[in-house]
Amino acid sequence: MNKQRRVMLAVLAALPFAQAFAAVPAGYPASYQAVIDAANKEGKLVVYSTTDTALMQPLLKDFQKMYPAIKLEYNDVNSTELYNRYISETAAGGASADVLWSSAMDLQAKLVNDGYAMKYATPEVKNLPDWAHWRDEVFGTTYEPISIVYNKRLVPAGEVPKTHAELVTLLTKNTAKYKGKVTTYDIEKSGTGFLFVTQDAKVNPAFWNLAKAFGAVDVKLQSSTGGMMERISSGENLIGYNILGSYAITRAKTDPNIGFVMPTDYSLVISRLMFVSKTAKAPNAAKVWVDYVLSRRGQSILAMSADLYSVRKDIAGQASGDYLGRVLGAALKPVAVGPGLLTYLDQAKRLDFIKQWKQALGR
Amino acid sequence: MNALARYGLSRTMVVLVMALAVFMPIGLVLWQSTLNAPFFMPNHAYGLDAFRFIFDDSDFWSALKNTVFIAVSMLVIAVPLGGALAFLLARTDLPCRRPIELMVMVPVFVSPFVLGFGYVVATGPVGFYTLWVQNLIGTVPWNVYSLPSIALIAGLTHVPHVYLYASSALKNLGSDVEEAARVTGASPFEVARRVSLPMVAPSLLYSGVLVFFLGFEIFGLPLILGDPEGHLVLASYLYKLTNKLGIPSYHLMAAVAVCIIGVTFPLVLLQRYLLRSANRYIAVKGKVTRQKRLPLGQWRLPALALVLFWLLVTVIVPLSGITFRAFVSFWGEGVSFAEAFSLHAFVEIWNQPNLLRAVLNSVLIGVIGGGVAVMAYTAIGLASHRKQDGLTRIVDYMVLIPRAVPGLLAGLAFLWVFLFVPGLKEIRSTLISVWLAYMVVWLAYGMRLISSALLQVAPELEESARTLGASAARVSKDVTLPLIRFGLLSSWVLMFMIFEREYSTGVYLLSPGTEVIGSMLVSLWAAGAVDIVAALSLINVALVAIGLAIALKFGVNLHE
Amino acid sequence: MNKSTQHDALHLTVNNLHLQYGDNPILKGVSFTLAPGEVVALLGASGSGKTTLLRAVAGLEHPSQGEITLGKTTLFDGAKDFELAVEKRNLGLVFQSYALWPHRTVFDNVAYGLKLRKVGTEETKDRVSQALKNLGLGHLAERYPHQLSGGQQQRVAIARALVYNPPVILLDEPLSNLDAKLREEARAWLRELIVTLGLSALVVTHDQTEAMAMSDRILLLKDGRIEQAGTPQSLYAHPESLYTADFMGSNNHLPANVVQAEGSMASIEVAGRVLKGVCKGIIQAGKACTALIRLEQVRTNAEGENVIQAELITSMFLGDRWEHLFHLHNGADTIRIRAFGAVPLATGEHQLSFPADALWLFPTA
Repeated sequence: MNKQRRVMLAVLAALPFAQAFAAVPAGYPASYQAVIDAANKEGKLVVYSTTDTALMQPLLKDFQKMYPAIKLEYNDVNSTELYNRYISETAAGGASADVLWSSAMDLQAKLVNDGYAMKYATPEVKNLPDWAHWRDEVFGTTYEPISIVYNKRLVPAGEVPKTHAELVTLLTKNTAKYKGKVTTYDIEKSGTGFLFVTQDAKVNPAFWNLAKAFGAVDVKLQSSTGGMMERISSGENLIGYNILGSYAITRAKTDPNIGFVMPTDYSLVISRLMFVSKTAKAPNAAKVWVDYVLSRRGQSILAMSADLYSVRKDIAGQASGDYLGRVLGAALKPVAVGPGLLTYLDQAKRLDFIKQWKQALGR
Repeated sequence: MNALARYGLSRTMVVLVMALAVFMPIGLVLWQSTLNAPFFMPNHAYGLDAFRFIFDDSDFWSALKNTVFIAVSMLVIAVPLGGALAFLLARTDLPCRRPIELMVMVPVFVSPFVLGFGYVVATGPVGFYTLWVQNLIGTVPWNVYSLPSIALIAGLTHVPHVYLYASSALKNLGSDVEEAARVTGASPFEVARRVSLPMVAPSLLYSGVLVFFLGFEIFGLPLILGDPEGHLVLASYLYKLTNKLGIPSYHLMAAVAVCIIGVTFPLVLLQRYLLRSANRYIAVKGKVTRQKRLPLGQWRLPALALVLFWLLVTVIVPLSGITFRAFVSFWGEGVSFAEAFSLHAFVEIWNQPNLLRAVLNSVLIGVIGGGVAVMAYTAIGLASHRKQDGLTRIVDYMVLIPRAVPGLLAGLAFLWVFLFVPGLKEIRSTLISVWLAYMVVWLAYGMRLISSALLQVAPELEESARTLGASAARVSKDVTLPLIRFGLLSSWVLMFMIFEREYSTGVYLLSPGTEVIGSMLVSLWAAGAVDIVAALSLINVALVAIGLAIALKFGVNLHE
Repeated sequence: MNKSTQHDALHLTVNNLHLQYGDNPILKGVSFTLAPGEVVALLGASGSGKTTLLRAVAGLEHPSQGEITLGKTTLFDGAKDFELAVEKRNLGLVFQSYALWPHRTVFDNVAYGLKLRKVGTEETKDRVSQALKNLGLGHLAERYPHQLSGGQQQRVAIARALVYNPPVILLDEPLSNLDAKLREEARAWLRELIVTLGLSALVVTHDQTEAMAMSDRILLLKDGRIEQAGTPQSLYAHPESLYTADFMGSNNHLPANVVQAEGSMASIEVAGRVLKGVCKGIIQAGKACTALIRLEQVRTNAEGENVIQAELITSMFLGDRWEHLFHLHNGADTIRIRAFGAVPLATGEHQLSFPADALWLFPTA
């Protein structure tokens, strides 16, 4: 995989648009030059992100190449930590991030809703699907379907479920074989897992049947994608539900045990959300960064090097959500960025949902 | 000013700094527990909502129940085994005592997180040993994720703690009392049961309380082993609260913390009381001058087999599991080692700046941080050395307070301190923040090292310098410090190993620049990068092994 | 070293000194003075407070009341809550264990006091060499303490305490760490040193022979108070209490009843026989008393007054003399009497005489 990335980089470096550094990108208003100048003057940009630094390396390097005057400080932290750090630092009135970029869509939405985001009408917004931005403040940057992951050695091809209904059938018919062998997020420990399941419950009327089927096979709840993936790979578990497709794709490249499917009845799609902090020390650099990540150039690198599909409508090829849409069609159900994400941040509602989930699982 | 005059400037300053480092974080925890929202949120108010919430939460009660179960099991397993091990190694002619004595200490210096991880990859449902046993006998007679297994592993890995105290007490016992029993016709087993162990009963009692106390703080093992079946303990319940409400619930975490401290602090006081009365209790202990080992006779080999079996289960199985896992990129049923062999994890560590930084930082915090910590502990030690006044009593009690606060929590409290105390923000994202937290968390341990070194100095060596005209500070510089320099060096090595081992304190302080292997492991485990976890664990064990080797070379007494 | 010029002639005065550890009183009002050139021994059993007293003078213990002065300098004043720090008292203290610093050579050990007084390198060298030479240690300057014998270590400790010419030197059980054989030699050597250097010294010891041999004056301490003070001879020959008498020598104890008391003498009855003795304290007819006689005062095979008949059980050879053990039958009880003699005696009955002026009568408490 590393090798692939390096090849990609080489290709990118040779691309014709890798010139005219720090000039106004094509299609942007001429006044954008002022933003770039101000950004260069600010000279430093702090990003808090939930995506691994290693995965982002090509993107970061390319940004630096384009804007060498802006020193980029990229901090990767988990989503809860990102949220806590940001609000506590803001409350303490000290330096914090200029840009927040997190896969915890609900927490990002909450920050935006609580007024932490700066309004910014990015020139790129016209290239984003409508569901992927909210109030000119927060923007989706990726297109990540949720998948079912399975162990290729131990789950025969005929048993691999293609839809949610097939999964229910498989588990009810082969309860003995899959007892203790199915895994999904522990929604009490993982905010992402919680988000997925609540979206499931919204989209899928038969969701609670699936939950009951999970209960019947004594589903193993875990706090992380990696943990699930590891156990599926080793054969300790056979099927993993609600695993971020990007991780599955990456892992499957090196691990012959791992297989994955995007369910064809519906596949949830989430997007890493990004916004500029209202209290940003470098608002212009932040804007330049947001525009860069959403640009064709940024999105291409993101898609090719990090197995994250592009959220843009106008990128062709296998790296784009558009491509995925052609394959899976209407089955793709992106989680819309907006106030709907806030529902379960209400303590009572959240605990109610957790209770219902645990009851369905028979815990 | 009055205190300045009475106790002297430097002593007062040392104690003041120490008080700040101890009370600020714990004060924040206590205060936070009485609020109904994180203290930095604009809309927080006083109230007991946090306690109400956790007392209403069935998870809390199950965590409490599990914690008590594990703590009691640890007591029941570790005390008899630790006592027996101490008797065999300290008093009898058991073969291979030297290498065993060394191996015994491994679980103390290897992070419980690493051990727990080792058990998963070695004896989990598709662990290396599990698959092997399954091929051999067709079935697997254990389930490492069950609560009794966690308790058993916790018990076995805490045997060294009991061993330490029991063996140092047994070494101070004259062999005449045992020989007297042998002469009257007792077997070695009866000698241990009726004479030697009862004579060190105070030490066993003390270590029992210690183990029970550690049971209440236990985090790494249940975090890893308890996850698949959802067995929570208080510390992992606290960790779980990080995400339960989706938004930070520091008030809930602080409330749990207060509950934990409510149990551990009395236990710490009890330990202190026991330690003091133990010293008084041992009036008769026989003549120590001449020690002869008790011949085990026909029991020699069975006893050795028992000890080796314990070593196999607590040291070799988990560590070999980690080593194996570090060199395969995937594993499972039907996978051959040759097919899966890979150095990918190590290459990855080399290539990822944050992982590489974690390794370097771990070395830094162990070598330099450990050294500076020893200096700080020495300053505190000297401030209360040979002075029986109010200040010394204050120091005595202050040392105990961080002892009662689990590392996970201390790290969280320090995060708050760094965020909200003006002037500290700058060091928040430097390794100093982690070091400071480590130093406070391990204050009691470090102070014990230093004070035992200081106790080796006969008081008249210092008094004679005083009568010759040296001030107290001059005496410290010219007499005390040069005399304890070997003790300080040993403390440095031990602090190095302890700092390498630490994992929970850095969890909440983890940010770019402050990565250490310990907290990276927890974070990577949460993210599921198992092969990296294995490789980092192996590096961590290697660092500890280097510490052990240095300790061995310089004859450092590990049994502190 | 020249005695009159180098040691400042200062009186050490201790007045009504009290000291306690918590609620446990150790010193209950001790007073004495140490004149320049005088050697005073603090003698007492363990727990009598003698070492505490010495350490209080040095400043290592903290008294609760009383005063300590050295010449015009106040070292301690309980009334004013004043205490001069140890290092400012300028006294010399030799510890029981010698307390030599194992990490420094003999030279460095001895030179430390001069270094603290900022004496120049050359002068330090001269004075340390001189001190070491005076004590017969000239050749050992570069050794470390663990390479020395016990006696040599003691001398280094003394050199270290003397090298800066303190007005008073304090010695804590200076001989107790030496072998029995060496001890007598060292005793003589130490006395010689003190006399030739004209030192003022306060010596703590639990051994009355040592105290008598080394000091000009003895303070016998009991339970934190001075039981009796005086020259060694007066303490030995004129004890004022049973305790002092007992402590200072080896004695025979005879339970007795007073028959008749007349002035300073009294008649007593011991095992049916009447003896005469000197009254020490108030002796009344009809009461019980303890008659005490030093072993060396008992004469065997004697005639005349104050004679008692006892049975010789055994004789023990001590080298320079014999010690005889007699039994005196007193009804069902046996009184044991020991005596010295130049020759062994035959077993059987012997006449023992107790000179009346050496038979001390103490009231039984």
